[in-house]
Amino acid sequence: MLLLCGSGTAVVVPRLASSAASVRLSAAEVRGRRSAVFSREQARQRSLYPRTEKIEVTLQIPGLQGTLLVMNKGLSTPHSCARHLTEWYVTSSALALVDGKPWSLHQPLTQSCSLSLLTFKDTDPLLVNQAYWRSCAALLGQVLQDAFKEDFSVELLSLPEVLVTSGAFCCDVVLDPQLDAWNPSEESLRSLTRGAQQLIHRDLPWEPLEVAPPVALEVFSHSRCKQKEVEEKSAQSPKGTVILYRCGDHVLLSGGPLVARTGLCSQYEVTAIHPLGEGKWGLHRRAQGLSLPLQQQAHHTVWRKLRSRAEKLVEVPTGSTNEAISDTLTLPSAPEQTPPHTPQQ
Amino acid sequence: MRVNIQMLISHGRVARKMGLGPESRINMLRNILTGLVRHERIETTRGRADEVRFYAEKLIDYAKKGDTDEKAMKMANFWLTEKDLIPKLFKVLAPRFETQPKAYTRMARIPNRENLDRAAMAVLEYKGNPFPPLQTAKRDNELTLINQLLKGYREQRAQQAAAKRQDVL
Repeated sequence: MLLLCGSGTAVVVPRLASSAASVRLSAAEVRGRRSAVFSREQARQRSLYPRTEKIEVTLQIPGLQGTLLVMNKGLSTPHSCARHLTEWYVTSSALALVDGKPWSLHQPLTQSCSLSLLTFKDTDPLLVNQAYWRSCAALLGQVLQDAFKEDFSVELLSLPEVLVTSGAFCCDVVLDPQLDAWNPSEESLRSLTRGAQQLIHRDLPWEPLEVAPPVALEVFSHSRCKQKEVEEKSAQSPKGTVILYRCGDHVLLSGGPLVARTGLCSQYEVTAIHPLGEGKWGLHRRAQGLSLPLQQQAHHTVWRKLRSRAEKLVEVPTGSTNEAISDTLTLPSAPEQTPPHTPQQ
Repeated sequence: MRVNIQMLISHGRVARKMGLGPESRINMLRNILTGLVRHERIETTRGRADEVRFYAEKLIDYAKKGDTDEKAMKMANFWLTEKDLIPKLFKVLAPRFETQPKAYTRMARIPNRENLDRAAMAVLEYKGNPFPPLQTAKRDNELTLINQLLKGYREQRAQQAAAKRQDVL
């Protein structure tokens, strides 16, 4: 079986009679495989629209109300709509609202709709804040996966939904059993921060992809807990699909839309890794961090205070409060009440 | 005495000259102060507004003594040329500033006058006037990310302080 790794070199992996999980693959190979499956699925979804069909996108941006853009079906994203406007829209938009629903900036549009671009400085940036928090947690997970040597396995558990007011975003992770006694020192936290800063500097986009559960299970074929998460998410979603995000060559699951690119974060620090105790998959640890976007930088005195708060353990509320978070994030009913004025079929 | 060039340059002299002389200056300030007490927000040149501020606040300090006080009534009588404003001063303005020790006025600079003289103008007002505010403090939206983080920080500090007080008790 010939596989192409992320770096482009061919790797020969002998197919054994036993299940794939028993073959100990290196982290880089696992990443390469996941990325390859992701690209394959992305290409397949793009090939569903062989002829370019046009859709009409009405903009709902202050100052450009009712502007009509004619875009390509299944290919154009809100990002490309923003590129038709000015550079400021491209750099400042973090999330898009398509027909009132939160929509990732790099997800293709499939039908005529109304589009509005959300930034961090809107009058109601709740959705953007939560998406940003989720993206920072996803970035933290990516950094943790990259940080350790090949001998140690890193298992990312779910990214818990935390409110912004709690002070830090969290990423639950299970490290190799050999590292059970390891506690991160300041130097290691600083090196993790440096890794995150490098990712931010590369300005990688978070590419979303809506897939059916079998494809998602294939992507995470080497990780039992990720497969469980895929099953849970597909059960919860109304359409039964799961949205995967790819950043660089890491593919990850997320509870909601992520912001457009890593370059939107400016101040980013990994503040602490707390052990949570023995769990289902081993010693669960909670990695916490603090970040602020490019448009909302803090003075170093303010940053120091927020950071000292982010070092403390953040209690993640269980199921009931997750509904409370989604309740606070439901959009106000006003946009749904006003009927769209675009000519629709 | 030795008349030299230093006498012509006003090194460090803080007293302003207005009008035709000291008496004219006091009369001008009296008129402006009467207008301020009547309208509670007036527009004049910057120098005059700055000079009137001192007298406006001193007048309120005198009015706080009450209208039965001899000196207060004499001051009000001198400074307010329109005598129907004396009851307004004692009955409206003085009670308004009862809780405040000082700083009863606010001065805001505005663009220069359109006339040939292009004088630098200012708006002088008594605080607590019924008009819309001159300058609203520009605050960032409460719901932005950094403000939400700071809100959580403040709440946590308040909780910790309350817990400490409970422990002490």
